[in-house]
Amino acid sequence: MLTIILNEWKILVRNRAIVYITILFILSLVSVVWMGVVQNINQKEIQQSAQKHIRSQWDNLKPMNPHRAAHYGSYAFKPISILNSLDDGISAITGNVLKLEGHVQNEIVYSEASQAISLSKFGKLKSSLLLQYMIPLFLIFLAYSSISSEKESGRLKLLVFQGVSFFKLIFSKSISIWFYGLFLLTITISAQTFLGVVNQEILYRIALIFLSYACYYYVIACLTTYFSAYLKDNTSALSSILATWIIWTIFLPRIWGNSVEKFYPLPSRQDFKATMKEDRSKGIDGHNPTDERREKLKNRYLKEYNVDSLKQLPINFDGIVMQEDEEYGNLVWDKHFGSNYAIYKSQKKLYQLSGILNPFASLQSLSMGLCGNDMVHHLDFLEKAEKYRRYLIKELNDKHAFGGSKTGNWKWTVDETFFKSVEGFNYRSPSIYEKIVHYIRDIFFLMTWMFVTTLLLRFNINKNNLL
Amino acid sequence: MNRYLKIVLIEFSHFSRSPFKITSLIFYVLAVIYGCQNGYALIKKHNDEITSIKSGYKSHIDKMLVQYEEIEQGSIKKPRRDPSVPYWAIWNTPSYAFKYPSPMMVFSLGQSEQYGYYKKVSNWSTTFDNDLAQEIANPERLSIGTLDFNFVLIYLTPILLIIMLFNIGGLERDMNFNKLIYLSNVTKKNWLMARFLFYFILLIILLFSLLSFYGLLSGVFQNEIISFFNLLLLIFIYVLVWFTIFYIINFSGSGSPDQALKMISTWLILCIIIPGAFHQFSSLKHPTNYMTDYLDVSRDQKYAIFELSTDVHQSKLVESFPNLKNTKYAGDTTVDRSIVSKCISALVNELNKKVASQIEKSSEDKNQFIKRYFLFNPVIYFQNKVNAFSKTDYYAYRDYRQHIQSIIDKKINFILEDTWNKVNIKKEKYIQYVEIFE
Repeated sequence: MLTIILNEWKILVRNRAIVYITILFILSLVSVVWMGVVQNINQKEIQQSAQKHIRSQWDNLKPMNPHRAAHYGSYAFKPISILNSLDDGISAITGNVLKLEGHVQNEIVYSEASQAISLSKFGKLKSSLLLQYMIPLFLIFLAYSSISSEKESGRLKLLVFQGVSFFKLIFSKSISIWFYGLFLLTITISAQTFLGVVNQEILYRIALIFLSYACYYYVIACLTTYFSAYLKDNTSALSSILATWIIWTIFLPRIWGNSVEKFYPLPSRQDFKATMKEDRSKGIDGHNPTDERREKLKNRYLKEYNVDSLKQLPINFDGIVMQEDEEYGNLVWDKHFGSNYAIYKSQKKLYQLSGILNPFASLQSLSMGLCGNDMVHHLDFLEKAEKYRRYLIKELNDKHAFGGSKTGNWKWTVDETFFKSVEGFNYRSPSIYEKIVHYIRDIFFLMTWMFVTTLLLRFNINKNNLL
Repeated sequence: MNRYLKIVLIEFSHFSRSPFKITSLIFYVLAVIYGCQNGYALIKKHNDEITSIKSGYKSHIDKMLVQYEEIEQGSIKKPRRDPSVPYWAIWNTPSYAFKYPSPMMVFSLGQSEQYGYYKKVSNWSTTFDNDLAQEIANPERLSIGTLDFNFVLIYLTPILLIIMLFNIGGLERDMNFNKLIYLSNVTKKNWLMARFLFYFILLIILLFSLLSFYGLLSGVFQNEIISFFNLLLLIFIYVLVWFTIFYIINFSGSGSPDQALKMISTWLILCIIIPGAFHQFSSLKHPTNYMTDYLDVSRDQKYAIFELSTDVHQSKLVESFPNLKNTKYAGDTTVDRSIVSKCISALVNELNKKVASQIEKSSEDKNQFIKRYFLFNPVIYFQNKVNAFSKTDYYAYRDYRQHIQSIIDKKINFILEDTWNKVNIKKEKYIQYVEIFE
């Protein structure tokens, strides 16, 4: 087997066109990784400077009433994932700026895609674009005639007469082509490791990325060789594998992607807002002094502090009301945003099932997930930003309530010392260990495809197909 | 001439005997139908949503009218937000800005999924408010993209052509009887062209028929006939460009696999690699805007205006809106805080307009950068042209933002004029407001 693989590589190396294309690939992959890293650094600097700018405004706030500061709010800017230079996933589509303020959980806005005319439908020229589209196609072109041309030239008969087993022959040819894919993959991953930032977490992720692409290339190499062995000539083999590639990469992701939204429909923004407003109205209204629920809360506090009027309270009841309003609001946001997030997750699970038919879908999902640019990571950012918003507003409301002011004193202010004491928003991207559970399906389907294509080569090719 | 006509007709029998090609064509037709159907469904969804919003605000207007009657009859007290004051009357005048879907949207969803298409407009609104965000959608689905007609045309048509054309001329070379053909008094150039012509005619007829059907269904012929014919012309040119590229490949090809390889590589380079490269370059040159300028206006600068004294507000208002000098209040010698404070949104709006124009300019710079290289990135040119005909491109939404701004301005002008002229708003005047903003 090793002899066949070495022999195949010798043939590859002797072919000048392949050598030139390989050099071109290596240069393209390295320069694309480099460009991605440069873009990442630029974008990260801009994001960090925006975050610093907002923080310095917060730190230097003029003396202000805490509730006014809650309306003033803060902003969270979605950070760039370090492996964005490999695969930017959904990052161009999602918004980048999230306002964090009192009374409301906002949605993330200002996506890159909304800031210019339409560009590539397949994403930026990142390594993932080459690794997902170009290299598999090149592997197809290397493999489609690997057996059929041996058949057509009659060389196959000679090899068989020399005692080579069918399976060993076909499998070795697949493996030699797979190794070529692995070679290009190694170049990309090495470039990313040398040019980009590396730590233990990134190394784990990079290793998993390598394995995912390696699985997919294995499937492509085996399937193409299978077609080459099974079908009667080069043309049939090429047509069939190209048709499969087109269905996998162009048709199925879109059609399945559209269909999952029909199975698990999301509410329209209008309905979403209206139902949230409806639920919100059932709680306390912090800004309405005649609100009935506020009255009940007031009586509770008067009783607790054993006083007759709000003026006698040692605390500022307005702050209490605001926090109560917030707590109720949080239940509402959790219900409605939570429901949307649950739908997103169901949609993703259903989409991942398309991996049964389409290993490309599993690869794509794994690639953007491992690079930290899929919906799972996006939702993680939104959830952590919301958690921070709740912390921020609670700090302000508690200061309002217990900071030394009296009820009704809206002119009472706190100075920058307090504002500086409120922690800023520092987002830590989750480790792959925390999120790997979301990608089990993708991993399973890719491995199943590896198994199935190996079985195809082992049991579905016989003498009749080959000779 | 008859000989070439015969070749065109014979190609039909070649085609009809190839189940692979017929299946591909059927898939393609299904994709066109699916794409148009997606567009049609989105038009319907947008229209339904707009109708539902409109019906919602009609009930609000009815409530307001009853309130005016009751106040005028003296049966209720004026509420905290007194509707006889111009500011609150205008506040209670429902005004939505809609981006009505063009019937041409059936052919391209374009960037419609990146933007909102309805917005409740108040005097405090801006063109970059949170509620102008895109419809709620799965970001991964958006990233993969929707299979609309534009996608089918731009990306799948060349693939269909590859399947149809890759073995034309190649098969004969594979089987080594290509020279026999040229013995029959036909030139290679014309023989290939005649065979290509069959597929060109077939595809054009098919596309034009399907498009006309969906055009009829969505009402294109009543409203957008020029855009529709422009689209047909664009399709004709686009398909012709691909036929020309593939013709050159086949003319110089050395067999079906060689031709298929070159065709698919050309597709990959023109449809994926070049657009991807320009996408990447444009992001390097014009990184994502985090809108900090806008955020500064919407917070710090707005708060700075709030901090100013009423005197300063008044002088700034007069400076920005010289027409106010001719109002009733301008003649008063004392400063009326209740009048001036209701007009502060006008000052904030001026700041918002200024920063919005900077943001639009930076987006336009990025657009110009992309457009400058359309010659090297032709597929994206065609893609954006189809979006433009369908009014789903960036510019259609920029126009929509301008429309929103014009409503904000109108609201502010009414607040300024009527507040400074101390107009007492009654039912009739409220109805006028409603009609103006309807």
